[in-house]
Amino acid sequence: MVSTSAEAVYGLFNLFLTLGTLVGVVVGSYMIYNLLRYRAREDKPAEGEVSLGELPPRQGFPIKLLLSLVLSSAIVISLIVGTFSTLEYLESPPRDSFEIRVTAFQWGWEFTYPNGVVVLGEGRIPANRPVKFIVTSRDVFHKFGVLELGIGIDAIPGKINSYWTQVRVPGTYEIRCFELCGTGHGVMIGKLVVMEPSEFERWYQSQGGVSK
Amino acid sequence: MTHNPLPPASSIKRWLMTTNHKDVGILYLVTSIYFLIIGGVLALLFRFQLTDPSLNFLNAQKFNQAVTMHGLVMILFVISPLGFAFANYVVPLQIGARDLAFPRLNALSYWLYLFGGILTIISFFQDSAIDAGWTMYAPLTTNQFSPYVGVNTGGLGLALLVASVTASTFNFVVTIFRSRAQGLTINKLPMFTFSILLTVLMMLYAFPSLLAGLVILASDRLLGTVYFTSPEGGALLWDHIFWFFGHPEVYIVLFPGLGAMAEVIQASTRKHLFGRTAVMVAMVIVAVLSFLVWGHHMFNTGISQDVRRVFTITTIAISIPFDAIILSYIYSLVKANIRINTPFLFVLGSIGVFIIGGITGVFLGSNVLDYILRGTYFVVAHFHYTMVGGGLLGLLAAIYYWYPKMTGRMFDEKLGRIHFVTSMIGYNLLYFPLFIAWETPRRVPIYQPDLLFWHQLATIGGLIFGLSFLIMFWNLLWSLRNGPPAGNNPWGAFTLEWATESPPPPHNFHGIPTFSSGKLEFISTNGAVHHHHETHLSPYPFGVSLGSFLTLAGLTVHSLMLPVGLLVLAISIVGWGREKFVAFEDPIGERWPFDGVDRVKLGWWTFIASEIALFGILISAYIYVRGASGSWPAPGTMLDVWHGAVNTFVLLTSSLTVVLALASAKAGRKGLTTAFLGSTIGLGLLFLFNKYNEWSELIHHGVTFGSSLPASTFFLTTGVHGAHVTAGLLALAYLVSRSIKGAYGKDNWESIEYFGYYWHFVDIVWVFLFPLFYLI
Ligand code: HEM
Ligand SMILES: [Cu+2]
Ligand SMILES: [Cu+2]
Repeated sequence: MVSTSAEAVYGLFNLFLTLGTLVGVVVGSYMIYNLLRYRAREDKPAEGEVSLGELPPRQGFPIKLLLSLVLSSAIVISLIVGTFSTLEYLESPPRDSFEIRVTAFQWGWEFTYPNGVVVLGEGRIPANRPVKFIVTSRDVFHKFGVLELGIGIDAIPGKINSYWTQVRVPGTYEIRCFELCGTGHGVMIGKLVVMEPSEFERWYQSQGGVSK
Repeated sequence: MTHNPLPPASSIKRWLMTTNHKDVGILYLVTSIYFLIIGGVLALLFRFQLTDPSLNFLNAQKFNQAVTMHGLVMILFVISPLGFAFANYVVPLQIGARDLAFPRLNALSYWLYLFGGILTIISFFQDSAIDAGWTMYAPLTTNQFSPYVGVNTGGLGLALLVASVTASTFNFVVTIFRSRAQGLTINKLPMFTFSILLTVLMMLYAFPSLLAGLVILASDRLLGTVYFTSPEGGALLWDHIFWFFGHPEVYIVLFPGLGAMAEVIQASTRKHLFGRTAVMVAMVIVAVLSFLVWGHHMFNTGISQDVRRVFTITTIAISIPFDAIILSYIYSLVKANIRINTPFLFVLGSIGVFIIGGITGVFLGSNVLDYILRGTYFVVAHFHYTMVGGGLLGLLAAIYYWYPKMTGRMFDEKLGRIHFVTSMIGYNLLYFPLFIAWETPRRVPIYQPDLLFWHQLATIGGLIFGLSFLIMFWNLLWSLRNGPPAGNNPWGAFTLEWATESPPPPHNFHGIPTFSSGKLEFISTNGAVHHHHETHLSPYPFGVSLGSFLTLAGLTVHSLMLPVGLLVLAISIVGWGREKFVAFEDPIGERWPFDGVDRVKLGWWTFIASEIALFGILISAYIYVRGASGSWPAPGTMLDVWHGAVNTFVLLTSSLTVVLALASAKAGRKGLTTAFLGSTIGLGLLFLFNKYNEWSELIHHGVTFGSSLPASTFFLTTGVHGAHVTAGLLALAYLVSRSIKGAYGKDNWESIEYFGYYWHFVDIVWVFLFPLFYLI
């Protein structure tokens, strides 16, 4: 996986997808099976059918339903547990993370480095090193998202949110906005350039900063 | 048979004036289908743009406008009202009632809905329509970022809809609690009626939140308050308020369809639903939980992790009662003799796709997955699988299922099946590719080139899905004349609506239905309660709605409409008050737990419950922004405590005078009644006068609506309260004018009692506002 966050998020996604597909297929097939099995051959009243105006009798909680619910509860609980453990990991950035501020605005992205350097549109970060994005907005609600890296967090005016990751594969990744923010929302596209650490160091120094 | 009190169906007068629940149901049906076509055409327009991002068919703004209007129309003006078409038509029949509890109010609900829809759609054609999505996120919707009049018009349209929904809410609550046939206890209610009961109860608490949000937004836009423009309130405040409405709303649109599906399954299997009681309990759990999951729309906003964990649990847990419902539907098929027909096919299709919608919803309930899924096409695909799959397809089943009852004719079964097959193909071709192309950001005309194929497939699917509706329209229209007669009970169903003619007579049943002996019987009325004294026509619901529409449109569309609107409104309200409108309640029935509460009283209680919710949200908003603000003026610095204290005293005294007025009326002391009502007016005016002084002093000292959050929250919250006092004074003026003529006495004091509920409520609200704003 290209990054720690992608690994965590998409790993969990696959768990959900597997269990979800399983449940969907079982329930769907069971429905179709019953449909075919119990389809009326002819429209003749059969025994035990309810007649007009008959009120429902008292009814308990069917065992069959209870068992099904126990089963789905087990699945659901495992999904919640999976979510919580991943959440814990995703939200505990290592202390030595490289911090970069991301400010969304109508319509673009601005990156502010610890040394005060401000870059527009194209953020650069080092690979193989934890990076913490500190995200906010200058005007309206936006969402900072880099799907490939498993990154997504809201950019909200007056509020500071954060998200961390460690990218393993250098390259250029697409940043998009995922919260409707006006006419430019669709073109609010930025770049996240992930560089080899040494290369990043050189670039950052040329901007007058020292990252270590 | 009694004579038909309604003009023939071909007369326009009938449709403008009818208050009969079946007519109103048909009006809802036709209107919601009309809006469905509008919303569908909008969808096809932007779906066409999405075929290829390089097309310059809709520019970014037009695209956003179309998406926004599509969402608003579909959710608020299509699915819910389509469900209410059947709620109107079927619920009274299913419970053995003659009509809804308040027929004129029901007609009013319909007309407000229609005019609300028209006003919302007008906004689309003004110079700039609302383009911030149906979720209308602040601060994008504030003046600074959306300085368009179209947003105001749209907001007013929605306000009319909220009024419509509120009126329906207490109408249905009262009807279902007060008008059931003997023996039809709550746990034996037909599934559809039960689902409508839960729907309206959810509406009762959800819509006030939308109203509060719209009121605050309007106040920010028009009066300059700073709720959403200041960082302390801002985006997150709207999120909370909107989604406190928004999440229950998705179950509100779903439940009528779910209920109808249960009926169709029962009719096709001729058995009671499997696990019926469990399903009912599950539905109650869903309805309650629906108010505890709104935070899953805010997973990415940086609210505290503990809060998000709770919302993750509640959201994922809500899938368990849904499991119970859907599995029971499926278990109902086991060992049955299933009759397969068009309604049943739609139910199957609906369950099938709803399973996909539900499972993908669990994905979104996981905070972790939501980090990447929120704002993508995964969400778009998911909610179409639930809302269109569970909601709309379920209601298509309802259309086919109850069509014979409503028209007396059968539709063409073969065409129905063709419709089913084409719509399922179109549906899945439209929405499934959206899961595959999930990386597309939602609400953009531009996406990654490698997703082109899937979007093109979706457009083709959309076209097929859209066109498939034409088959249904043709079928239903053609069968209106040419379908074979349906008879009373073509499906062999067992709920009460099938025990009368198709279509039913104006009073629904011959005699009064009762289950008191355990099975259905009709008590002959033998003219004891004479049907033809009942009124079924009134011009005023239409008049009030038209007047409201013109008045509001006068504010944002054309100022000439304003005076005309006010005139129409005034005439209609006075006419309404003076009209002799007779609506009986059957003398016997199942009314637990409200046996001792007459229907007007129950109506007032329900109305006040929704008012409590409205003030609850406004006060919560105040507490929220106060908590989020670092500093707040100490008591006595911005506001003068004395003003508040005096007003508290004045208002409490006025509660006392209302109590005394009621006591005097009961004692037959007419002069005293008038005097106490009059002094209540005096005290109310004193309250407003004092408030006026307080406000002008504040404004004189530079504390204005927009000067700070403490000022904004004070002006708006106490302003809304003041508006309630003013409304109360208008009602009092009416009471006094009647009292002077000696209208109230020993055997006619109910109006004063009902007014008293409202007035005490308004006073109690003040008792909360006073310490909150002045003392702490
Ligand atoms: C011909 C049928 C339909 C098509 C082709 C269609 C297509 C779409 C698409 C592509 C979007 C996403 C737009 C975007 O986010 O960029 C959308 C949004 C939406 N649709 Fe539909 N849809 C259809 C029917 C319906 C129906 C029947 C409902 C409701 C019952 C519905 C409710 C919504 C809602 C609530 C949104 C969200 C709007 C927003 O994001 O503000 N749609 N639709
Ligand atoms: Cu955006
Ligand atoms: Cu929700």
